[in-house]
Amino acid sequence: MRWNHAKIWVLILLPIALSACYQISGHRMGGEIGPTSPVRHVNPGDVALTEGYRIEAVALGLTCPTGIAFDESGEIYVTEAGYSKGEMSAAPRLVNVSGDGDLTTVASGAENGPWTGVIFHRGSFYVAEGGEVGGGRILRIERNGSITPLISDLPSRGDHHTNGPVAGPDGFIYFTVGTYTNSGIVGADNYKSGWLGKFPDQHDIPCQDVVLAGENYSTENFLAPGAGGEVQTGAFSPFGEKTRKGQVIDGRMPCSGSVLRIWPGGGKAELVAWGFRNPFGMAFSPAGRLFVTENQFEMRGSRPVFGAGDLLWEVEPGRWYGWPDFHGPNRLDFGERYTPPGKSTPRILLAEHPARVPPRPAAVLGVHASIAGFDFSRNPDFGHFGQAFVAAFGNTPDAGKVLSPVGYKIYRVNVETGVIHDFAVNKGMANGPASWLGTGGLERPVAARFDPSGTSLYVVDFGVVNYGKLGAVPRHGTGVVWRVTRKPAVKP
Amino acid sequence: MKPNYMLLALVVLLLALQTGCGAARKNEPISGPLKIESEEASVGERLYMWHCNQCHPGGEAGLAPALNDKPAPGFAIQFQVRHGIGAMPRISDDQVSGGELDAIVSYLVVLRNR
Repeated sequence: MRWNHAKIWVLILLPIALSACYQISGHRMGGEIGPTSPVRHVNPGDVALTEGYRIEAVALGLTCPTGIAFDESGEIYVTEAGYSKGEMSAAPRLVNVSGDGDLTTVASGAENGPWTGVIFHRGSFYVAEGGEVGGGRILRIERNGSITPLISDLPSRGDHHTNGPVAGPDGFIYFTVGTYTNSGIVGADNYKSGWLGKFPDQHDIPCQDVVLAGENYSTENFLAPGAGGEVQTGAFSPFGEKTRKGQVIDGRMPCSGSVLRIWPGGGKAELVAWGFRNPFGMAFSPAGRLFVTENQFEMRGSRPVFGAGDLLWEVEPGRWYGWPDFHGPNRLDFGERYTPPGKSTPRILLAEHPARVPPRPAAVLGVHASIAGFDFSRNPDFGHFGQAFVAAFGNTPDAGKVLSPVGYKIYRVNVETGVIHDFAVNKGMANGPASWLGTGGLERPVAARFDPSGTSLYVVDFGVVNYGKLGAVPRHGTGVVWRVTRKPAVKP
Repeated sequence: MKPNYMLLALVVLLLALQTGCGAARKNEPISGPLKIESEEASVGERLYMWHCNQCHPGGEAGLAPALNDKPAPGFAIQFQVRHGIGAMPRISDDQVSGGELDAIVSYLVVLRNR
């Protein structure tokens, strides 16, 4: 009998072993690349595209570009995020890109970046200001450089920023506000990233009243170093504030993890939908449906979550989309699916959920792909009409480990079926940022947007980011704008 | 001397792990469009995108290893899905039915043969 059992095990283990293909040697992920040359090598020939398309670089030397817009004459404008950490400092800017690729500053911001995106709407630019210092803002910028805030003090001094914007068919300016935390609990990761020390009373804000389950997480008391001991922190509460079962946290506006809208002339923001973690990119489909990209849970902090792929959502007004207790329609305590190796399963934070089950997303993308800005093909001449072209910034080391770099490319997504295809990737034996591959291809795509004609897809490439003990260190002047067009048909 | 099958299996396992098959890159820009000719594989593609793609994006390695160069027969893949190996969660037939798993395996075969 022992032999029979042994044979069965051989039969089971052999194919699994042959199919495992784990790369068990120490791998270097996108986020683990070391210092690279400050001068970026750019070579469109190092980018592979779906057959029938070509790519070229149209602007070089940008510093942390994040968004792109086109005025009524088709001129190109790009936002630079601005950055003031580590060894690099730069103010956020809106720049004009000439036909020759020359950059001219239209407007500059103060140290309240990052500027995360831009649109041109009825003669003015609208920019989302992240708000790391003074809170998020939506800015209206005129061609002469004058800046008028439409709304200020949005709650985005934490992990995630104020993002967007996009103009809706109803005339409103839509934008997003990310959450303060990874999964609802202020903790060590927020202290490490810097904001908890600066703003110790800040925390996530629900858009509507929520009833807590009374789950609390223990951490070292970082705000009283040397005092010793631990503190307990509950959901939607400041660091060190314990919560109890049945406790009600009042919802208020503006709130965390939300899609909001405001009239271009200003006024109060209106809630569109909530329950997101880090909703980043926004676009309306040709049929006028609003979609957002959402960067999902990471494996960090007091309540780490494993294996949550980034989501592309269709946004329906008034709905709740699951944060902090769901990934799509799945609860985080669903078996061990979201349990980090060697750690406990995330405990459910809300006693009652605003919806029994959140909706099903339009598409599920790679874990830690960091999907960002995107747009829909709206011209049949470009092809893939109605499909989304999604920029993926790529994984970062603080989000959690991966076996192989994820992202660093442009995806094509059929939002009706959820089927995803790569559209533009770096050539080579492995996926990853160009600086890591040693090529001149894509580094960290952060936005994709069609020009007004719909015949050219522009890709904003953030540039080289190194990660060290001080965190992310972007490389000055390594940002690029790429243009993808369809090759002319070959005549028979 | 009788052969020790358990030892043999472990040796094969270790060899397979050490050689590491590498992440085969078979995405659309590099290998051309995927030709799915059966209805089952087409259904499997949609199911794969929902259940598998987040860890094995496009069949390539990501959070988890690549599947598009997986030489395992269908029954071994089904065993791995149902029982979970390492960090991979066990997926029950409440989540993915037997017929759905067959469709996913059918799609994986198309990916592998690309």
